[in-house]
Amino acid sequence: MDTLQLLGDGFVGALSLQNLLWVLIGCVLGTAVGVLPGLGSSMAVALLLPVTFALDPTAAFIMFSGVYFGGLFGDSTMGILMNTPGQASAIASTFEGHKMALDGRAAKALATAAIGAFIGGFIASICVVFLAPVLADFSTKFGPAEFFALAVFAFAATSTVVTDDTVKGLASLFLGLGIAVIGIDGVSGAQRFTMGSPYLFDGISLVTVTVAVLALGEVIYVACMERHIVGKAIVRPKGRPWLSKSEMREALPAWLRGTAIGLPFGVVPAGGSEIPTFLAYGVEKRLDARRKDPQFGKGAIRGLAAPEAAGNSTTGMAMGALLSLGLPISATAAIMLAAFQQYGLQPGPLLFDRAPDLVWSLLASFFIAMVVLLILNLPFAMLWAKLLLIPRPYLYAGITMFCAMGIYASSGSTFDLAMLLGVGIVGFLMRALDFPLAPLIIGMVLGPLAETSLRDAAMSANGDFSVLVQSPIALTLYGVLLVVLGFSVVSRLRARRA
Amino acid sequence: MSGQNNPTALSATYGKKLRFGGLAKNLIMPAVLLAFAAYLAIGIVTMTVPEGTSFPGPGFFPGLIATGLAIFAVLLIVRAFRAPHAEATGDGSGEKVDWASLAWIVVGFGAFIALLPVLGWIIGAALLFWAIARGFGEHRHIRSLVIGLTASSLVYIAFDMALGMSLPSGILGWEF
Repeated sequence: MDTLQLLGDGFVGALSLQNLLWVLIGCVLGTAVGVLPGLGSSMAVALLLPVTFALDPTAAFIMFSGVYFGGLFGDSTMGILMNTPGQASAIASTFEGHKMALDGRAAKALATAAIGAFIGGFIASICVVFLAPVLADFSTKFGPAEFFALAVFAFAATSTVVTDDTVKGLASLFLGLGIAVIGIDGVSGAQRFTMGSPYLFDGISLVTVTVAVLALGEVIYVACMERHIVGKAIVRPKGRPWLSKSEMREALPAWLRGTAIGLPFGVVPAGGSEIPTFLAYGVEKRLDARRKDPQFGKGAIRGLAAPEAAGNSTTGMAMGALLSLGLPISATAAIMLAAFQQYGLQPGPLLFDRAPDLVWSLLASFFIAMVVLLILNLPFAMLWAKLLLIPRPYLYAGITMFCAMGIYASSGSTFDLAMLLGVGIVGFLMRALDFPLAPLIIGMVLGPLAETSLRDAAMSANGDFSVLVQSPIALTLYGVLLVVLGFSVVSRLRARRA
Repeated sequence: MSGQNNPTALSATYGKKLRFGGLAKNLIMPAVLLAFAAYLAIGIVTMTVPEGTSFPGPGFFPGLIATGLAIFAVLLIVRAFRAPHAEATGDGSGEKVDWASLAWIVVGFGAFIALLPVLGWIIGAALLFWAIARGFGEHRHIRSLVIGLTASSLVYIAFDMALGMSLPSGILGWEF
């Protein structure tokens, strides 16, 4: 009952007129950026990150939750209508979703996605409310060795399991780790890799790197490569975006199965929601093959419903893991973590004690964001397609201007703008040469945690590294990691045979 | 996993196979990795470590990273030389780098950085807008300058004046 009481207080905090406005703005902006071709939800969060520093923390995070979930919805809207998912996590939804659209059922596909996202996100938010305090409590038992194990887990998962190419994934991860060690060493006070420049004493800002890699690098990429590829036609949705009773009955089990598959992945730092979306898609496909009249390949409603619910339930749970353990499992969650740090808040066990108002208002705002998105997207999903009418040069020029504004305003120096351009060029190269970008962000966010916990653990044992593998919790984590890695190898082999 | 046929960005985690310059393109990233590893290595050697720092000191973790970077760079170089040079992916419609666009954006942004303190936000950002739009193939210069100026003024009003973030006013130098 205690939890419900706290959540109730959270709703009271979140339901002020001003905060509702921020949720609404966040949902609209997030969906808009997600819908725009080539821009995904992580770019939406990255672009808005510097801007939110002008707001107070609660309003900022409430807006973030709107942007985050709105962006996810926008990603899959474009996947369905144009066969161009904005983010890897929307790929699985695109297979059957786009076929539904081609089949003249675009409006129904959008409705299926919106309701699926709602169900997945809502159930996940309920789980987070009850699980996050327990997890936070549990994580107070964590010492340096356990935190190091968690970080290693996240590194391995994001750079190997999620990406197609392990060497490229690890290279990207190490670049991120390397960027993170620049600046004054917190433990010994030594200057590291600063070349004596005071601009580098505090290190390179995570905000700068995020915006550079996810936004500016993308702009350069689109300008000199992608826009020369012939675009695809958009399917204009017709009809009412609502499902008949029989369609609801058809989709409901898939929504629930998808949600169930997605939930555990939100706690395991296995790199975001693409694995569960593909798993949910695979399960539905196998179940479908057993039926008398297989629907897959012809625009199966279940093939869209399940991954959509799975993606959102993972995303919702991931917020729980972020809040209670301080562990980001995807690039977007990593950006949220950066936002917390910018406000001087450290997500993790202590956050629930130190800033309960903020945490519970944020949790409450997840529910509000879900409802707002459902209201916003069921009737107006087709309107979003109109955004495609903005001419590309102006759209991307505007985005670039926005990046520059955010970075300059949050740092106040042109040095950070130069850093933005430099890292943006590296981001462009990585993007063009097929290097995954998420490991770089994760490496940069968790690098300092990994380093301090590694050194603390070793120092307390007089330089003996075996201390890292002595606690049962750390051993369990490494064990789970091995299982996850084994699982991904098996499923990859299977995919290759198929 | 699929995704190879989608021309539009699958941003963060996915990329597309591109074909410019065969072997050379596969050596770009290893070069970047090696350069960064070298920067870290030089930094570790020249680092002044305060007295009395116990064993895993400030150079320990960066050392691991530099080693890792070098190993992955070598692996990628080996792979680049062993891979067949002509890649048989894609439909052959020719995905080339548009160097002019690249120059407009990179040089445009560089110039923006250099001129921002002098020109101020409104004029500087409008010119940035124009340069980026030019990089995207927009040739109606007056139009894009007018739109850029409108956008930069709106941003200034919204973020500097309303939300209190600081943007340089530059030569316009107005006091609000």
